[in-house]
Amino acid sequence: MTLKLLSAATLLASSVSFAAPALAEDVTIDLWSRADKSGPLRAGNIVEAADQLNRMFEAAGSDTRVVINLIETNANGFDADALDLLKAHSVGETPDIMVAAHEWIGSFVEAGLAANLEDHIAGNASMYADMIPALWESVKYKGDRYGIPQDSEIRMFFLNNDILRAGGKEEDFIAGLPAAVEAGEFTMYDFCDLAAEMVDAGAAKVGWVHRPNVGPDFQMAMASFGIDIYNEDEAKLQITKSGLTEYYGWLKYCVDNGSLPADMTSYSWDSTHAAFRGGDALAKFHGIWNVGAQLEAFGVEGEEEYFNKLTWIHSPAAEKGGEPKNLSHPIVYVVGETENKDLAALLVAMASQHVPNTNHAVGTNHTPINYGQVAMPEFQEKGWALIAGTPMLDYAEFMPNHAKIGQYNAITYTGVQAVETGEMSPEEAVEMVIEELEIELGDDVIILD
Amino acid sequence: MFTRQRLDALLFLGPAVVLMLAFFLAPIVVNILVAFSDMNQTVRFGEFPTTEQFNKLGKLDAEAFLGFELRGSFYRALALTATFVFLTLFIFNVTFALILALTTTAVPERMGAVFRAIWLLPRMSPSVVYALLWLWVVDSTERGLLNQVWMLFAIEPLNLRLDHPMAVIVVANGLIGASLGMIIFTSAIRSIPEHLFHAARADGAGPLSIVRHVVLPALRWPISYITIYQALALLVSFEYIFLIMGPARSTMTMAMLSYTKTLAPGIGGGQYAYGAAIALILIVIGIVVALLMWRLANMKSLLQRPKIEVN
Repeated sequence: MTLKLLSAATLLASSVSFAAPALAEDVTIDLWSRADKSGPLRAGNIVEAADQLNRMFEAAGSDTRVVINLIETNANGFDADALDLLKAHSVGETPDIMVAAHEWIGSFVEAGLAANLEDHIAGNASMYADMIPALWESVKYKGDRYGIPQDSEIRMFFLNNDILRAGGKEEDFIAGLPAAVEAGEFTMYDFCDLAAEMVDAGAAKVGWVHRPNVGPDFQMAMASFGIDIYNEDEAKLQITKSGLTEYYGWLKYCVDNGSLPADMTSYSWDSTHAAFRGGDALAKFHGIWNVGAQLEAFGVEGEEEYFNKLTWIHSPAAEKGGEPKNLSHPIVYVVGETENKDLAALLVAMASQHVPNTNHAVGTNHTPINYGQVAMPEFQEKGWALIAGTPMLDYAEFMPNHAKIGQYNAITYTGVQAVETGEMSPEEAVEMVIEELEIELGDDVIILD
Repeated sequence: MFTRQRLDALLFLGPAVVLMLAFFLAPIVVNILVAFSDMNQTVRFGEFPTTEQFNKLGKLDAEAFLGFELRGSFYRALALTATFVFLTLFIFNVTFALILALTTTAVPERMGAVFRAIWLLPRMSPSVVYALLWLWVVDSTERGLLNQVWMLFAIEPLNLRLDHPMAVIVVANGLIGASLGMIIFTSAIRSIPEHLFHAARADGAGPLSIVRHVVLPALRWPISYITIYQALALLVSFEYIFLIMGPARSTMTMAMLSYTKTLAPGIGGGQYAYGAAIALILIVIGIVVALLMWRLANMKSLLQRPKIEVN
């Protein structure tokens, strides 16, 4: 079901409820969700939960009906959406349920927007008993849970095998790449060299591409260079000067050897996607939900054809023997601190059950939130990519739930831009970034050598 | 009790006064309040008043020339703003506009009107469309319009957004900005009494002498006006920069910095107080620049009585 259809249905439902006799008691739940092709059922599952609940009310002879008022926003990403949400909250328009990126929970709690869900989770233990425990970490702020994970994913490097073949690489080499990365034998530098080799051989027009704007992806590359972004004991963000110098040095290395476009940071999303899906670039740094679009773009079907065409690797280790990293970035339901919060939380609990969540996960290539989902036939059949990706979670990092993580990412990204465009040397960029971090984040960031 | 006269004054001036207060004065007052607070993503007034935001832009340093030292990013934004405003203003908004006005009034009336209409086209098109066209023109691949021509003579495609970002935003802004000057200058040239041209020609003046001794003196006031007006407009202009360059460091002027720190999606926005502080400095710079130019151009005497005798 598309969101458009959903909103039409909601609109219809709300107009019907206006027409209904005043006897019935309507409880309106405001649901805030960004219009997003990669997750229409994030909102749809809540609407469905409300329908289910209404059937229960009806069966019980109750006049109470739950009406979902879908506030569908068109922000250009979860960061922009979260800022809009905070603005809406500041003028008293607090929604009852929000779909958000988990790292904003810190800001939401500080703003008094997010309700503490510890009592709700304890009181409805059976509804959450099968949740993959690691995911709970992504919704904690100062020890308490303020959200329900809605999906999860893996971010990684995708490699185009046909380009490797055209560049003269043997099948054995290609098949052995993921293992070589996991063993720490294939490093970040090897990756850039490989990409440059393919460009030089004429097999690829572009070596590799990363996202063209600020976002979580870069965190896994930073983690590969040993930057531990969050100090949990002090609940502060953290940066390591030496690690940052190496990370920027690596980006410069990639630009200099011709594997990374110097103007990568001024690409549009469209041209970034087109570079990889159009077969121009050897590799792309992005997330598992791309599988659907990749199948379509490359004209392949099913697991076997897909993995014949593409290879997945973690973000490799910085040096031989090091540990590779990847990133998981759950999208979560947050319940607003409103008078309807108990009902809203129960709707979220219903939407987080195996069947609705699998509909979302399989439909949009996100990893599951409950262990049992993997056993479902639908998952077995259509979710092969997700089952293949689940073992990668062993190497996953999460973004910290810190209110200033957005700023932190934006500032470290300016260093990426300065180094890639050749404006600054890695050392100069580190100096600039550290100064900016100190100025803008002040006490919220710990600077290590 | 209201006298009739007062009531009329209220009726006539009231709406204008309310609009002025609501749309000109109130935003500045709000901006000042926010600039001295710590308002961020949560949109709450916490600490107030505080100079925290201004400390992010510079710090007190007794050793420094003016007693304070600017932070790197802010200093850079100031320098980029000055370059952007200066180049766009003098190359396009004044000089090029003047050339357009002189040439389109020199050619036959109808032809001149056609050329002026063409130069007005970019101003009439929505900014997003105009920016998109520019993105196609300067596209770094061989698909870009400029590169299609360039590749006839060269091997490597040009990547102007990467290698000459300032040139891109100056030209993109300038080609739009020139049309305003063109219109004002054209009407000023038109209002020069015809007999002055005849007299000059009778005295043996060539076209260049006519421009220098007849036209330019009559354009003094419009040129001063356009210079001041466009300087102020360019100081706070960011839409074409953002649409064409995105949040690139190479074109992060003051107005862009203020926008990216507050409202720009996905690039670290939400620092409302910080952005307001930058905007406040921009307002102060704008006032200083306007007063300085007013003084330099001697606008006061120019405003007193018309310089051109109209028959």
